[in-house]
Amino acid sequence: MPTWFTKAFKSAETRPKPRPQVDLPKAQPAPVAESRPQPPLLPSEVKSTPKSRRVIYAPVLVEEEEQSSWTPEIRIKARVEKDHRSCVFMVDRPVLQGLSAWYPSAASAKDSPLAEYLFAIPGVASVLLHDFTVTVAREPGSGTSWEDLSKEVGARIRNHLLVGVPAVAPEFLEKIPSEDELRQKLSRVIDLEINPGIAAHSGVISLERVVGNTAYIKMGGGCQGCAASTSTLREGVHRAFRDAVPEIGAILDETDHSAGANPFYRSLPVGMEADA
Amino acid sequence: MPKLESFTVRLRTGQRAPSAPPTYVINGFLVEFDKTSGAAKPGEVYEATGEPGSFPHSLLLCGPKEGAWDIDEVSVTYHCHGEDAYTIRLGAVTLDDASDLNIWYERPAPVFDV
Repeated sequence: MPTWFTKAFKSAETRPKPRPQVDLPKAQPAPVAESRPQPPLLPSEVKSTPKSRRVIYAPVLVEEEEQSSWTPEIRIKARVEKDHRSCVFMVDRPVLQGLSAWYPSAASAKDSPLAEYLFAIPGVASVLLHDFTVTVAREPGSGTSWEDLSKEVGARIRNHLLVGVPAVAPEFLEKIPSEDELRQKLSRVIDLEINPGIAAHSGVISLERVVGNTAYIKMGGGCQGCAASTSTLREGVHRAFRDAVPEIGAILDETDHSAGANPFYRSLPVGMEADA
Repeated sequence: MPKLESFTVRLRTGQRAPSAPPTYVINGFLVEFDKTSGAAKPGEVYEATGEPGSFPHSLLLCGPKEGAWDIDEVSVTYHCHGEDAYTIRLGAVTLDDASDLNIWYERPAPVFDV
């Protein structure tokens, strides 16, 4: 049995606080003459409810490497994502400055020399170029390990940048609508397709901003903290956005899924609830 | 989610300090620390170890019962079952009698050069 469990229930002092007792109004004596009967007091009027508590998230400090000035050597760091399906390659210089480009298959990468170069590696399923990063997903069940794949991807990104060829062709840049136009189109998709679809789960998606052709969204209501929010984002939001606006690049979720009014896990003791 | 055998919070208090010894909440249950050293007084370093031996869906450092508690910096070292220990550092934060600090962070994804 976990030690915290034993301790929590062995010691009265550390036991979860019981629900506060509300003193209900006692039966009133029969009203005397000349006094009008008063309506019974509501519980909230009898005793104030305990103060609700909120959870604070302090900034996580990351050890910064000693950065020297710009060097001709291209430095690339890789981080395998939690689902092990994709890996983010962080480059020390822009790959596609201020913009993003999404390629779900080799056939879709005709207007990106860099993406085409990366799709030539066996096992690469999709490529996302965004500012200083390249995110590569591998084919599920391909058996390719990130240890090998990441080195190959890193080497190809480095080679491509050294040659000096742009990551995307000029035609791609010409097709990108203005931020206002993108915002309008995406808002329409959210209002007419996405939000009506997830309303049954009390979920709501909001478009926070559009930068270049990158969309920043937040998931609220029942979506926030929901264990299925990743699926909603990938299968629902991504697909709807890309079907309606093919020029959209990265779609980034800025939701704090562990905070707020409706997180997936929320079981603080009575009197310690997170703020609504 | 890994099983958290024990964790150690090391923090330095700023100007305002709590009047009672700090406690923590795991999965909604208020628990006292198993081992402590130092003091949660202004400018002093306080170190406390909890041994939950459980799966931390939530892990919070409780705010003071009254007033405010300025924490200049916090580091939390986690000892999870069958894994190497890891440490997370958090920046300055102020807690009051209506707030708790989240201190559960899973092991960060490793970053490597390619």
